[in-house]
Amino acid sequence: MSLLSVENLDVFYGDFRAVRGAHLELAAGQTIAIIGANGAGKSTLLNAIVGLSGRKSGSIRFDGRDIGREPTDRIARAGITMVPEGRRLFGSLTVEDNLLVGLAAERPGPWTLEAVYALFPRLGELSKMTAGSLSGGQQQMVSIGRALMTNPRVLLCDEISLGLAPKIIGDIYRCFETITASGVSVVLIEQNVVQACAAADYVYCMLEGHMSLEGRPEDLSQAQITAAYFGTGEALP
Amino acid sequence: MIWLETIANGIFLGGLYALIGLGLGFAFGVMRVVNVAQGDFIVAAAFIGLYLAPWVPINPILVIVPVAVIAFLIGIALQRLLINRVLGHDQIPQILLTFGVAIVLRNAMVAGFGANSQSIDVGAMRFLGFNLLGIRLGVLPAVILVIALLLFAALHLWLHRSRLGRLIRATADDYQVVQLQGVSYRRVFAIAMGIAMALSAVAGVLLAMRGSFTPYSGADRLLIAFEVVVIGGLGSFWGMFFGGMLLGITQLVALKLDPASGLMYGHIVFFIILILSPNGLAGAFRRVVLRK
Ligand SMILES: Nc1ncnc2c1ncn2[C@@H]1O[C@H](COP(=O)(O)OP(=O)(O)OP(=O)(O)O)[C@@H](O)[C@H]1O
Ligand SMILES: [Mg+2]
Repeated sequence: MSLLSVENLDVFYGDFRAVRGAHLELAAGQTIAIIGANGAGKSTLLNAIVGLSGRKSGSIRFDGRDIGREPTDRIARAGITMVPEGRRLFGSLTVEDNLLVGLAAERPGPWTLEAVYALFPRLGELSKMTAGSLSGGQQQMVSIGRALMTNPRVLLCDEISLGLAPKIIGDIYRCFETITASGVSVVLIEQNVVQACAAADYVYCMLEGHMSLEGRPEDLSQAQITAAYFGTGEALP
Repeated sequence: MIWLETIANGIFLGGLYALIGLGLGFAFGVMRVVNVAQGDFIVAAAFIGLYLAPWVPINPILVIVPVAVIAFLIGIALQRLLINRVLGHDQIPQILLTFGVAIVLRNAMVAGFGANSQSIDVGAMRFLGFNLLGIRLGVLPAVILVIALLLFAALHLWLHRSRLGRLIRATADDYQVVQLQGVSYRRVFAIAMGIAMALSAVAGVLLAMRGSFTPYSGADRLLIAFEVVVIGGLGSFWGMFFGGMLLGITQLVALKLDPASGLMYGHIVFFIILILSPNGLAGAFRRVVLRK
């Protein structure tokens, strides 16, 4: 049975339906990726799962329980958290204080301050620095570490590679082996298709608010993905 | 010597002004909520202090403790029952709501206590003085300054050292993301409003000990609070403290030169600072000293 399951989800901004009948299944221990062009509705979908979007309809179930109407903080306490798009650190707090905020979820588990510093040794050296003064890659590590501090069962990551140098992206993705090994199930939003296919067990492609393609990376062809990504399905043979 | 005394008294008064601003500035800094009713709550706290003071043991000035506790609870109720319902991108509903609360509160106080001028009696302390560097200063104003300083320092330390203080600072930075860490920002907001109201209430009681008040004093108090917050640089902690000092000193020096001036020169200084440095003393400090 899947740990997180989304069915027939619609999400609205005013009258505009940004997500249209989207679905998603995440099994325990799995890593899935959502790819798609700008404005496809990827962030809106993840925000809806954690209760940060506005009006929505459809079904969102976590561990068999309907969480569609729960407030975000309750969802985080239940074990789903997100690394938000653009990192969104608490800019006036130190690195360590940013991480310690995660304790508010009151979920004991393997992810402690020491464990996060072991995963990202650089953060240990920067622990007393103000988060706002760090480089982009360092900030992304803090954002991931902060989410891990809640000891989530499901970690949603919204474009963690955005604006980072390739070497740093590689470093960060390597850490996900440790993260998934600790028992965390992961949903990645990723614009880079190659990166997504390398990191995930299963890939969804979003187009104009719905899933235009899904499958295991090894089962999807380059042409299929391109068509689903850009919505040029009809034009292809 | 007379000028030294005037400036010393301006500093004493300024500490109290800073404290009046602190409640408003803290609420704004954490929640981006402008509580227009803060001035009238300050007056309501003075009334509560007026009635509780005779029952307080040791020294009447300790009445600030029960009044602060009551104001803390009222602040939590205000936030939970009213302000949390109108939070959003638009600040107009909050301002209208708290403005309504202010009017109701003011009229209730007029109906309940009459419009007479009142003052909280602190007994002999009011007339005690001490000599410092050859000038004569009042004990009560000095004690009030010390209380203001202690409250600023205590709040600062608490925000930076405690677990809840950390959550409040995080919520002030991003109230949406903090929820992803399992924090109910509504609960944090309620606590922050409780603290803001407690600080304002202490200021209201101390002001009522130094001088007098009527149910109509709220607007003046609110204006001082606004000026302190804006001079300090919206939400800048120690900026507010020096903002209060500047207003207090200006007012007393101006009264010496022009006894009929009242608060006018304080307002003029406020306008000059607003024009020269729209982000207040904190902004000017960053620009000139830190060269950012
Ligand atoms: N707050 C908002 N108000 C109104 N429309 C919005 C809002 N946020 C997003 N949208 C619209 O909803 C659609 C989906 O946006 P979303 O941010 O979910 O896309 P995305 O797939 O995450 O894109 P990106 O790769 O650029 O992050 C877009 O058309 C966008 O313009
Ligand atoms: Mg997005």
